[in-house]
Amino acid sequence: MDTSAIIALAAMFSVAICVIFASLAQGKFAASAMDAIGRQPEAAKEIRSGMLLPLALMEALAIYGTVVAMMLVGKI
Amino acid sequence: MGHGSSVLFSIGPLEVTGPVVTMWVIIAVLGFVSWLATRNLKEVPGPLQNLAELAVDKLRELYSDGLNREALDKYLPVLGTFFIFIITCNYSGLLPGAGKLFAVPTASLSVTGGLAVSSLLFTLYAGCRKKGVWGYFKVLCGPSVALVVLMLPLNLIEQVVRPVSLAMRLYGNISGEETAVEQMSHVLPVLLPVVMQVLSLLFGAIQAIVFTKLVAAYLEEATEEEEE
Repeated sequence: MDTSAIIALAAMFSVAICVIFASLAQGKFAASAMDAIGRQPEAAKEIRSGMLLPLALMEALAIYGTVVAMMLVGKI
Repeated sequence: MGHGSSVLFSIGPLEVTGPVVTMWVIIAVLGFVSWLATRNLKEVPGPLQNLAELAVDKLRELYSDGLNREALDKYLPVLGTFFIFIITCNYSGLLPGAGKLFAVPTASLSVTGGLAVSSLLFTLYAGCRKKGVWGYFKVLCGPSVALVVLMLPLNLIEQVVRPVSLAMRLYGNISGEETAVEQMSHVLPVLLPVVMQVLSLLFGAIQAIVFTKLVAAYLEEATEEEEE
């Protein structure tokens, strides 16, 4: 395999693996948040506003993979 | 990261790139609106002053659960400025011609890196002002003398990594939106990018909130009172 094929595969894996695990984590987090809202509907507003930061932090981890892939794609 | 920003012209030794020019325009617009809103301050405000007061109140509320009272009073202007500047830069990507006619500032890693580095310097300044340089260093050394060898390198690395993550988060989100819109316009010219841009309305605001809330959290950590 020549270099550009390997670089392309590396870019692909970088995004794919990061996105898989980030979405699993966010799904688990959102599921437990929904459970908490279901158990105590009066706390819904606070829970919803407290969800923002963790979701964005987990999203950022997926973005790191995307940034690496963007850097790699430029070098194919 | 694809292409770097193209240099438009040079002022002496400094090269002025596309994002810098856009930022100048944003600074001019925000400064002008702020001047309009705050001249002739009245007890019973007119519409623009009312809007400005509403903005300040909402911003204060946004950071009130993260920061202690004293730090909030002192540093709300800085946090508010970061927020307003970042959200305006993010939304400038929705104007017609974004990316082609003018460069979106936060879609450039240099711009977000600059914002992150200035937030780091600001946190260091606030921490040293509160506790003195030696006091701040002692906080970095960890809770007890025995752990210094372990905690100090980790904390130093953390101080460096945080701005990097701030910069990459903001850059990745905004430039990723731009790239997605561009790719979508190849697939289905007008309708599909509109969907993405509506999402950009939400995500641009979220990224501004997250950036400034994290800066507030780092500020809180730097300026909190030590438990007795």
